[in-house]
Amino acid sequence: MNRRGLLCAAVIGLFALSHTASADVLAEVKKAAVLKVGTETQFAPFDYIDSGEHVGFNVDLFAAVGKEMGVQIQWVALPWAGVLPGLEAAKFDIVAGPAIITKERLERYTFSVPIAEGTVALNKRASDTAIKKPEDIAGKAVGGGRGSNQLAQLKTFAATLTPPATVREYVGADEGMADLAAGRIVAYSASLPNAAAAAKARPDMFGLVLPAFGSKAYFGYVGRKDEASASLMQAVNDAIDKLKKDGRMAALQQKWFGTTFDMPAMAAASAI
Amino acid sequence: MTWKLFFLLVQAAGSTALISLAAIAIGVCVGVVVCAGALARNRLLNGLSRLYISFFRGVPLLVQLMLFYYLLPALGVEVSSLSAALLALSLCTAAYQAENLRGGFLAVPRSLIEAADMVGMTAAQRFRRIEAPIAVRLMLPSMMNEAIAILHASALISVVGVIEVTRMAQNLSSSTFRPLPIYAAAGLLYLIMTGVLAGAGLLAERRLRVRLS
Repeated sequence: MNRRGLLCAAVIGLFALSHTASADVLAEVKKAAVLKVGTETQFAPFDYIDSGEHVGFNVDLFAAVGKEMGVQIQWVALPWAGVLPGLEAAKFDIVAGPAIITKERLERYTFSVPIAEGTVALNKRASDTAIKKPEDIAGKAVGGGRGSNQLAQLKTFAATLTPPATVREYVGADEGMADLAAGRIVAYSASLPNAAAAAKARPDMFGLVLPAFGSKAYFGYVGRKDEASASLMQAVNDAIDKLKKDGRMAALQQKWFGTTFDMPAMAAASAI
Repeated sequence: MTWKLFFLLVQAAGSTALISLAAIAIGVCVGVVVCAGALARNRLLNGLSRLYISFFRGVPLLVQLMLFYYLLPALGVEVSSLSAALLALSLCTAAYQAENLRGGFLAVPRSLIEAADMVGMTAAQRFRRIEAPIAVRLMLPSMMNEAIAILHASALISVVGVIEVTRMAQNLSSSTFRPLPIYAAAGLLYLIMTGVLAGAGLLAERRLRVRLS
């Protein structure tokens, strides 16, 4: 996902200073019997508004996690620019972005165990027959979301081509996909599940370019990296591990992504 | 775009309209107080009003929203999304309205004030009969401008989690991957809302028009 708004980033600093940490987040969550989860609701198929209903992989998965932990899930929907500041200001205790687990992000946040694969794939216009494999973008203009892992991987990939592809940066996937539809770029890089969702939602307009390329990457949920949150993240991980073992995770992945993923057991092992 | 999606946009436009109207109303009330302070001879009141105006005009509304939503809880004051949004919008627009009001009062011709004094009006009479009626007529257009501007600026309140029409349009366009019809519909809804505001402004101007016999 993208990191929007430098302005907001500047404000984060303020919150980090002022944020009042509680002793143990898990104990408080259990006491209130409510787990507050922050999300963006603009990240199909993970989390989106379908005809007014908040649905997606995250919604189903957290419902199951909540059941395992014996708590209700309360969703807090914010634009992405407000999600990480909200996490740091403890407006909610975990973010169901999800976000690609990277070493750099692990320095600032705690990640849950991986919940889906997020290797980079390209969307193209359905009518564009010139692009059949990722390498066909050579010498053309392509796009990615600013601050996203997919953009970084696209840049690396674009530079290896002859002639190299020109990479444009967008605020978010909506803007990038709109420019793709408008013909200003020939492909937009997204994680495979997101790219597949776009092609499925509008087969008349968007196509999917396979195979995925770059290093294998995984999605995880984001938590605060303080001691008070450690027990909560552990409890969420335990619940997710249980879902992985009893097959419910595979069923959810099949439902929302149309496929299942092999995933590393730990966040640290999947970081790129 | 289906009717169902359009209905969702209309619903969200309802929140935009309600929150904006409340902010405009509160903003004018607070603006009157701040303007009074800015015009006062009392140094302290004057300084406070000017400080208020420079803060709320100087700090971007987006940052104000985040300050209210995130900083107040850190200081021990719980605020909901809606109250943070309403607070930031109202206080921000109040600063601009205060300046619009001040502009109106400063534009009242000096000669009329002197004439009022000459015929022996008290300060209160002079204010009620001369200054206020003239100033209100002078500042109406710019106050309506600000009202429309804050209606548009209310698109920012989604950053604290209030669903309004722009946010709903973003939600719908990112799940349907059809941004154009959805943003066009949202634009139309804004046009209708600002049209109503502008119409109300014109009506008020007509009611207040000075008839020269």
